[in-house]
Amino acid sequence: MTMNSKRISFNSTKVFVIRFGAMVMLMGCLSRAAGFSGQTKDGFAIPQPGRHFVFPRDHGSHPDFAIEWWYITGHLSAPNERQFGFQATFFRLALAPPGAVVRSSSAAFGSQQIYMAHMALVDKNSGRFVYQERLNRDGWDAYSSTNTLDVRNGNWSLRLLSGKTNDFANDSDNVSEKIELQASIGADASFDLDLKPQKPLVVFGVDGVSRKASDPAAASHYLTYPLLAVKGWLNPGETNLAVAGQAWMDHEFSSSQLGAGQVGWDWLSLQLEDGRELMAYRMRRNDGSTDPFSTVAWIDQAGKVLQVGPRDFKWTILDHWHSTHTQADYPSLVKLEALNPFTGRVETFIVQPFVADQELAGRSGQAAYWEGASRVLDVNKKQIGLAYMELTGYAKSLNGRL
Amino acid sequence: MAGINPSVLRLLWTRFAWRHWKMSPVSSFLLLLILATGVAAFFSIRLANLAALEGFKNFTSLITSQSDGIITAPVGKLSDAILPELRQLLGNLPVNLVPVLETSAVEPGASEPQAIGSRPTFQLVGLDLPALMNLDGQADHEPGWFGSGTSSRTNQSPNGFSTILRDGISVFVNPFLAGQKGLKVGSPLTLVINEHEVTLRVAGNIPTVPGQAAAPPDLLIMDLPALQRLTDQPGQLDRVEFVLEEGPHREEQWQQARQKLESANPAGHPRWVVGSPSTRRAAAATMTGAFRLNLTILSLLALLVGLYLVFQGLDGAVVRRRGEIAVLRSLGVTSGQIQVAWLVEAACMGLAGGAIGLVLGWVGAQFAVKMVTRTVNALYFSSSAHSAPFDFGEAGMALALSLVAGLFAGWRPARAAANTPPAQIAVRAGAVPYPGGMLLRQPQLGFLLAILGTVLICFPPVRLAGGGRLPVAAYGAALCWIFGAGIFSGSFLSWLGGSLSRFQINSVPLRLACSHLREPSGRHRLLVASLVCAIGMTAGMAILVGSFDATMRGWIARTFQADLYISSDGAQTASSSSRISQPTWRQVVTLPCVERANIIQVMDIKLGGASTLLVGNRLSFFRDYAHPAWVQPPLSDEVFDPARNSRLALASEAFSERFQLHRGDEVRVPTPGGFQRVTLAGIFSDYGNERGSLLIEQGQFAQWYGNELAASLILALKPGWDAEAVRAELRAGHPGLGVFTSRYLRGESLRIFHQTFAVTYALELIGVVVAIAGLAFTMASLLWERRNDMNTLRALGLRRGELARAAAWEGALTAVAGVFWGLAVSLALGWLLIYRINKQTFGWTLQTARPWGQLCALALLVLFSAVVAGWCTGRWGARLPAEREE
Repeated sequence: MTMNSKRISFNSTKVFVIRFGAMVMLMGCLSRAAGFSGQTKDGFAIPQPGRHFVFPRDHGSHPDFAIEWWYITGHLSAPNERQFGFQATFFRLALAPPGAVVRSSSAAFGSQQIYMAHMALVDKNSGRFVYQERLNRDGWDAYSSTNTLDVRNGNWSLRLLSGKTNDFANDSDNVSEKIELQASIGADASFDLDLKPQKPLVVFGVDGVSRKASDPAAASHYLTYPLLAVKGWLNPGETNLAVAGQAWMDHEFSSSQLGAGQVGWDWLSLQLEDGRELMAYRMRRNDGSTDPFSTVAWIDQAGKVLQVGPRDFKWTILDHWHSTHTQADYPSLVKLEALNPFTGRVETFIVQPFVADQELAGRSGQAAYWEGASRVLDVNKKQIGLAYMELTGYAKSLNGRL
Repeated sequence: MAGINPSVLRLLWTRFAWRHWKMSPVSSFLLLLILATGVAAFFSIRLANLAALEGFKNFTSLITSQSDGIITAPVGKLSDAILPELRQLLGNLPVNLVPVLETSAVEPGASEPQAIGSRPTFQLVGLDLPALMNLDGQADHEPGWFGSGTSSRTNQSPNGFSTILRDGISVFVNPFLAGQKGLKVGSPLTLVINEHEVTLRVAGNIPTVPGQAAAPPDLLIMDLPALQRLTDQPGQLDRVEFVLEEGPHREEQWQQARQKLESANPAGHPRWVVGSPSTRRAAAATMTGAFRLNLTILSLLALLVGLYLVFQGLDGAVVRRRGEIAVLRSLGVTSGQIQVAWLVEAACMGLAGGAIGLVLGWVGAQFAVKMVTRTVNALYFSSSAHSAPFDFGEAGMALALSLVAGLFAGWRPARAAANTPPAQIAVRAGAVPYPGGMLLRQPQLGFLLAILGTVLICFPPVRLAGGGRLPVAAYGAALCWIFGAGIFSGSFLSWLGGSLSRFQINSVPLRLACSHLREPSGRHRLLVASLVCAIGMTAGMAILVGSFDATMRGWIARTFQADLYISSDGAQTASSSSRISQPTWRQVVTLPCVERANIIQVMDIKLGGASTLLVGNRLSFFRDYAHPAWVQPPLSDEVFDPARNSRLALASEAFSERFQLHRGDEVRVPTPGGFQRVTLAGIFSDYGNERGSLLIEQGQFAQWYGNELAASLILALKPGWDAEAVRAELRAGHPGLGVFTSRYLRGESLRIFHQTFAVTYALELIGVVVAIAGLAFTMASLLWERRNDMNTLRALGLRRGELARAAAWEGALTAVAGVFWGLAVSLALGWLLIYRINKQTFGWTLQTARPWGQLCALALLVLFSAVVAGWCTGRWGARLPAEREE
């Protein structure tokens, strides 16, 4: 289909999910108490129900919101049966709402936004895991377009190659879109990947708003491509390899994230070989209990989404991995038993990391977390899909910092 | 030296050399000390030079570790608009771009004028602070730039990014400075930046990068856009540094990046210059090369004088040990073994003297570094060196120099020792005078050297990369003349002794002294030659400095004719980058009291790879109030009339010499819009800098460079206005401006001039001290050799006092010969320094002045010291027993 400018709205009951890396330090200064009048006390926007998303504009940046990220995780295959997992994350954090007076700022060196980004690559065969974090102010070396998906941080970039407008909800031809990801990880690796959506865009939440806590201001607009085909090249440090694979991409913007009493979360994205995807999210509270906002979302082969609450799934820890970098114990081998709302049956998935050490240990000001490429096994230990798992708040509680 | 048995050598060393050292520890130590003083002078100057250069190094290297490359603008500043283009150009290469803006700042001074340069200058560096977190090591330390450490112990701003990036006044300081001034997070720090007094807010300490030295106390760091705003330089950068990710392909990736940068840079109209930290440092080294070399050569003065004395010491030892040598030869020790043993002794002396010299030199360097840095700041660039760290490379060089000096001084004595025949054993040791110093007995060699020196002065200087010039031939001529005069002085000493002997002299001591000088020993000749060397070079330098002083006085009196001179109060050195913004200078020059004003704009430019200064000036004002002395005067008034001046320029003599350009020649001046051609209308004398100045009309400057920042303003007041009153009023209205009357500035200019020569004076003094110490040492050696004669004289009725007076006369007459030839050669050296070495190195024409007062004082000092040294050693010698081994 052609991607004409169309407005769409969502009123289906969908789940929300919070995806974030480790931008604790930065977000510490953004922990704004919010009223619920459309704006936070600092003047940032609060997600409103019934928002009309227009693409490609809404793939771009939303500077009236305080927090925004574009988050890609995926799996790559290269010749000689070499297998890789990768993570690419771009964050935008506002230091001041649009129009705020800043004494020291220029086009090249802005003081309104801070951009963070994380890149990681794991060689599933050798177990080698490399990652890099980056931080820049808005300006010449980091920016995000407000017109389309065009995000840059240093020599890392993520952009929509087609300038065409697109209505993902109603137009089946959205697969013609192509997203380009270029990045390097120190001097250890570099990749240049093209990502092509294989399923329509999913907008989580109720009426386009994904709430995160009982406070109605703790909400976001959350858009996801649950399946993208990936092609390109990867240089894992020795030579260029032609690679192909699949990826998951989130785009979320909000002005407030965590609720009171929450210390961290476990998150999963499952891409099953039968064409379905799952997203599972378990928010952990101070007392170790699971927050009521935890959920599992099922996406069927056609892209339809249904959710179940915490009473309908069970998250069992099978094993821990102890980090010698941060001394944290990550529950990285898990069993997920969840009710499939499409069939009414409970299905069981075991998520097992390809490599134990996939911890982004965090540099100064950023909390450590574990974000790892994993395989999905059924009860018979047969691999039935690929996954990415995120485990946060184990090195240090995020309560009060996010 | 095949066939030398180590055990024989060891025996020779312990029984022959070391035993003598132990028996006369004072004289041995004195000899070592003389050598050590020479090495110390050399080492201290080399360390001070190195420290001054290190002080110039990229401050950013303390923050970013080593950059792989740097780009700067071909002229002026870079625009920050090129940054996205650079990123685009470099594509996916893993490279961090670090834009940098630098300026200097000082703390506000009192309303009364203070000595220029007396207030400490801070280097204020603007960096993109958040981006620093991406560099290796930056994010790994605590508390970091934004109090972002993972622990709670942080002294940084609790507001982190939002305050530091947005308030525009946050500054990071060195912990030492913070402790010294009691600065804490949030403390105010008031500085003069350009002409503004600005109160900054301390955001924390400059974090130390693991593996990097701590930031110097005068380094301050701000967020880059904040510094752009405070310095009225929106969108401007001094340079962009490139830091690649650490890895095995780093160098290869930088070469890729470099290639991309250079291929995108049109050759005809380059937009940037690609370099590296080493090329930037090399540029600084080139800029100061001549200055540093001159200092190094001057520092060798003491070693040169010391060499004479060490030679004497070793030569004297041959004399004293001839008896032993003859015995050894008779016992079968070969002449080769004797020579090797002697050279080993000389080498040991060189190494021991060198080791002592390293210690003394390091201590001396801590004092010298301040003087050298002061000069570098005044003439070249901003350097922040406060101490001179020990450098093993330089130490190795100094030690090698000392070793070579020891071997050089020991070579001839070693040969003399080796040639001592066994038959000498039959002769009573010491009875036959050892001639020594054969070369010094050849007056024709002196003539040859004088002629060779005269030929050498006709050669031009060696031209170095970057515009520096090295007068190698002129230095060679100086050495020839010094050595030649040294040879003549020995013959003169003989003539002096003989002439005085012909008179009917009643004084027994004087006759005794004359009898020793009629046929001077090699030792006498060496002594007088060393005096000639020390006095000649010291007096020669005094003539140069005196000429400089006279020239500068005339130039200063002529040049500072206007009423008021205004610059940023932050401009404490010639290299300061503090400027006056356009609104301020417009306000000042339009004051009702101002009759005429000159707005001076200055920019560093490069012509053919050599750096020079382009100065925007109102040329008619320059003519009327600076009264330039013309080397080549303009042929018409066109250059002084802005309406008629079509691309005409004036150049300083240093510029003309440096670039070999003269009146009527064309200069291609680099500007942001490409090269502009100007024609030289005249050449004037100027002593402001050695890189040369090219003066163009100020309006032209502002147009070409789009720059309205003034380096200084010069005001001529209307009749009836009191300069002091206007100065006070201007200071009250603009506390960030330094306002000086012409009278005050003349005094300050002379003071700064003398300050820059302080290190020269210190080095001269060391040379003279070594020469006088050498005189005492030589007299003592001579008397020691003559102890039996003196006992005979005492037996014949001479009293100790008379023997002391005889030694005093001997010393005095030797000093007379040294002073006579020393002053004679100093006149020649003075001429050489003024008309060859100075002219070829700096391009300055000086009027000759002979500071007779100073020269007389030097002569009297040497004569007096010689008399005292002779008398004291004579008293000591008269008490020596007749028979003692040593």
